[in-house]
Amino acid sequence: MVLVGILVTFLGFVISLLSLGMASGVSSRMVMVLVGILVSLVGIVGVINKAYVNNAIWKK
Amino acid sequence: MRKLLLGFTLALSLTCLYAQTPAAAPPAAAPPPVAAPAATPLTDADLKNIPTPKAEDRAKGDPDGGLTGNVSDIAVADPITDKTPKAKGLTLGDMANQVGQNKIAINFVWTLITGFMVMFMQAGFAIVETGLCRAKNANHTMMMNFMVYGTGLLAYWICGFALQMGGVGALGNLGGTPPLVNEFAITLFGKPFGLWGQTGFFLMHKGTYDVGVMVIFLFQMVFMDTALTIVTGSAAERWKFTAFLLSSFILGAFTYPIFANWAWGGGWLANLGANFGLGHGYSDFAGSGVVHAVGGLSALALGLIVGPRIGKFNRDGKPNAIPGHDITYVLLGCFILAFGWFGFNPGSTLGASGNGGLRIGSVAVNTMLAGMTGSFGAMFYMWMRYGKPDASMTGNGLLAGLVAITAPSGFVNPVASGIIGVIAGVLVCLSVEFVERTMKVDDPVGAISVHGVNGIWGVIAVGLFADGKSNYGGSWNGVNGSVTGLFYGDAGQLVAQLVGVSTLLGFVFVMTMVLNLILDMVVKQRSPAKDELEGLDIPEIGSLAYPEFQLK
Repeated sequence: MVLVGILVTFLGFVISLLSLGMASGVSSRMVMVLVGILVSLVGIVGVINKAYVNNAIWKK
Repeated sequence: MRKLLLGFTLALSLTCLYAQTPAAAPPAAAPPPVAAPAATPLTDADLKNIPTPKAEDRAKGDPDGGLTGNVSDIAVADPITDKTPKAKGLTLGDMANQVGQNKIAINFVWTLITGFMVMFMQAGFAIVETGLCRAKNANHTMMMNFMVYGTGLLAYWICGFALQMGGVGALGNLGGTPPLVNEFAITLFGKPFGLWGQTGFFLMHKGTYDVGVMVIFLFQMVFMDTALTIVTGSAAERWKFTAFLLSSFILGAFTYPIFANWAWGGGWLANLGANFGLGHGYSDFAGSGVVHAVGGLSALALGLIVGPRIGKFNRDGKPNAIPGHDITYVLLGCFILAFGWFGFNPGSTLGASGNGGLRIGSVAVNTMLAGMTGSFGAMFYMWMRYGKPDASMTGNGLLAGLVAITAPSGFVNPVASGIIGVIAGVLVCLSVEFVERTMKVDDPVGAISVHGVNGIWGVIAVGLFADGKSNYGGSWNGVNGSVTGLFYGDAGQLVAQLVGVSTLLGFVFVMTMVLNLILDMVVKQRSPAKDELEGLDIPEIGSLAYPEFQLK
């Protein structure tokens, strides 16, 4: 799951990067970049962190 | 008491909001035209008759300083001597060269001294982190903070500097730095994307044995080391010393320099304005993103990989407080850091003469204001929520305010600085609670919240509060005019900042996570449970920090 989370987090960066080529207006770019940031946060907090918490030392 | 504090906070907020509202001032009347006196061209001959102090007067000493420093101190290219009586002597060319060298000398001295101040921040970080750890790990924590300096410097000297600054181009304030012109770039969306520099390995490569290059190396090196030392805080009390050395080397050699190149070394983030019309490109004056968010996100990655300390969380996930052993260390360290920040932010002008260098006063005042409001924000938050003004969180509030103002310090006005700082002070408290209670990540010093979260807040704050009044030589990142945020009319600048935030989260965090997971497979990063329970001083370092004290 950690690797999946890393891929999701990186996907957020790719979405933001694509906004530079796929969108031309400031508003549309801002929306795409915000979506990218949200995806990265989901990857970090929702996937990677959750995977570590599920196997945490204090649960054993 | 809570109502009183609430009222005080409300009054402070209203004052800030009122002060932020632009006054409708009438346009200033143009001054009446004044006839300029006819100028007489200066010639070399005029320079021959400038009086100099007599030798016998100089021999008597110069207690009031009126004789020292005069025309005879100007370097002359073709001096008149007994053997060369027909030489040109002092010329206008000599005068102009001296003026130019004086400008660069002022900027060299400014940049070096502020760099020395940033280097001293290592001492502040060392005692803040050591004070927030238990006494049984004091030697280990102090040793990590001590050797992160040497490890980072070695990595940066070998290749980090070259990757970061090898293609930065001309740094006019430091005399041009002409050797640093080789940037590796690809073409994406029809535009050049600078990825890393290719000049300056070992400071001997392709002409980088150069006075200006040495100055920028020293200044950038101490910034990089600040990012590295942030990580030692979040992984303290359970990080194997060998793993720490290797992880820090990787961060100083590759991860930090790559992002720093994109932001400061002529890379693609800095050129978002020139290439894609997004304001002035990603603008991070002194490193909320480059230094603090990189350090804070790396701290998060290490915090996840090494896991929480034994006893930090109960089986039901409820966190336990593990108090540090010396709060006086913590607050003294915060003061040292606040002092060093006067090098961090004002020094980032890379000069005090020319190209907007006189904004150093504004940058310094913005820095101190944000630190002050940050400490108030955290202190009042803790006071209202828990009934006491918590000392360590008040210190973290000061640091959070300083971290947050680091990127905007060169672009915003004093009122905006105060607002940015107070938001940072509250944000650090909320973030510490979120990281500990929701994410269940153990961060003994609050590095993730102070540097990671508030570093990102500082980057965003540029896109909101930059007032368009700064002028660093007429342009920034190759775009004419001043950096201007959303509140002053440029939404594109905010987008550029958000692209930077996305890069920090989606690239820097991923890169540091992957590299440290590989390292974890090679040398297990977490120390054995037996060593952790005993305290890492003896198992890892071989001696206690306080051998005459009875440790729990």
